[in-house]
Amino acid sequence: MEQLMIELNPQTTQPVVQVKNLAKAYGSNVVLRDVSLSVAEGSVTAMIGPSGAGKSTVLRCMNLLEQPDSGEIVIDGHCINAGKKTSPKSLAALRRSAGMVFQHFNLFPHMTVLRNVSLPQERVLGCSREQANEKSMELLKRMGLADKADQYPSRCSGGQQQRIAIARALALGPRVMLFDEPTSALDPEVGVEVLEVMKELASTGMTMVVVTHEMAFAENVADELVVMADGGIIEKGHPGQILKDPQHERTRRFLRAVLER
Amino acid sequence: MNNLVDVAIEYGPTLLGGLKVSLTLTILSLALGLPIGLLFSFGVTAKNKAFRYISVFFVEVGRGAPALVLLQLMYYGLPNANLTLSSMASACLALTWTTAAYSAELIRGGMQSVPSGEIEGSHALGMSYRDCLRFVVIPQGLRIALPSLMGFAVLLFQATSLAYSVAVPELMSQAYSIGSSTFQYLPVFIVAGLLYAAISIPATWLSVGAERLLSRHL
Repeated sequence: MEQLMIELNPQTTQPVVQVKNLAKAYGSNVVLRDVSLSVAEGSVTAMIGPSGAGKSTVLRCMNLLEQPDSGEIVIDGHCINAGKKTSPKSLAALRRSAGMVFQHFNLFPHMTVLRNVSLPQERVLGCSREQANEKSMELLKRMGLADKADQYPSRCSGGQQQRIAIARALALGPRVMLFDEPTSALDPEVGVEVLEVMKELASTGMTMVVVTHEMAFAENVADELVVMADGGIIEKGHPGQILKDPQHERTRRFLRAVLER
Repeated sequence: MNNLVDVAIEYGPTLLGGLKVSLTLTILSLALGLPIGLLFSFGVTAKNKAFRYISVFFVEVGRGAPALVLLQLMYYGLPNANLTLSSMASACLALTWTTAAYSAELIRGGMQSVPSGEIEGSHALGMSYRDCLRFVVIPQGLRIALPSLMGFAVLLFQATSLAYSVAVPELMSQAYSIGSSTFQYLPVFIVAGLLYAAISIPATWLSVGAERLLSRHL
């Protein structure tokens, strides 16, 4: 019966993430101007562009870590309007449906790896300690980190810490995963472990939005490429197409800088 | 030297009784002052104006006024406002105020040094503001503040000697009264000083050990 309800629910045919006319400025410094974006269920969207383009800000606006000045955000049917006051309840619902992975992992250093992954399940989903630990171990195994469960994060390498952070976000069963430059703080060799996990995640049909400078990942894994510059989206479409034949001069300049170094 | 040993033997029990009062005063002031300090540490940065102003008042006065002034105020001053407290109660109240004021700033400093990324992380996970404080900010902030809080506790223990001025029968006042009745001031104050040191120095070692224990994840 529940299955039937989900199938009949028109929301499942809608994009998982919709961003409409997002704008944000810090004083006179405009960081986002009229950004609109929609992410289809099960797709991977890569966002690239020069630093200061507003990629991370868009991502951080999606789960309200940054408050946009205007615009609308819909994730999995939870709608937030920048103009109106957001109730803590709808904010919690929105954040629960979006998992976030940060450049600097942001693990809790005073908790073991297992506690890091289990605590949010207990506090946010109301799981029991046993349920949470079982789920955490399952995810840590999937990330290849089962043997690290009782360690503290500082005993793990950067790549391991980032995979722990991914497990922590996945444990809450998000509808979409937001990645904010997940490999930028890692050296290239270690970054590969994280990219492998992300590829595996994409292949299981997880909806993902990835802000990244990893062009190979953007080209091979993403279904949609979004190029941002100066607070706006200047180009979006199929990654292969954009990388081969960029339409916009700014895109060409950026790609030259990234690919020909 | 003989004199010192004689004084220590003869008046030891009295002095130890005073030491017990000093320790009781320290523990009571810490037990009451630290939770209030934790409250004030949030108060001084709170959005709620009444809470903030009250906290800032108590923190600034508590740190700005010498403990001796607060002690005298509570014991000799409050009766003018029709509130008469026993010497022990007024000393306890004054030192609780001092403790709350200093610990509020030490705790606030500790909390502020918890990286903002971790707070953001907990928000992104959908954890409530309260849970973020309870599981992320307070445990780490207290850990960071602990060495300085333990250092403060040692200073507070020494500051209880000021309570002799409001007739609390603690170590200093016992030593003083023995001295004034026997004129053996030198040996009696040496013994009293040794007794203060006998508590203060191991307490400092303890704080180093506690610091190591609490940072084992680093």
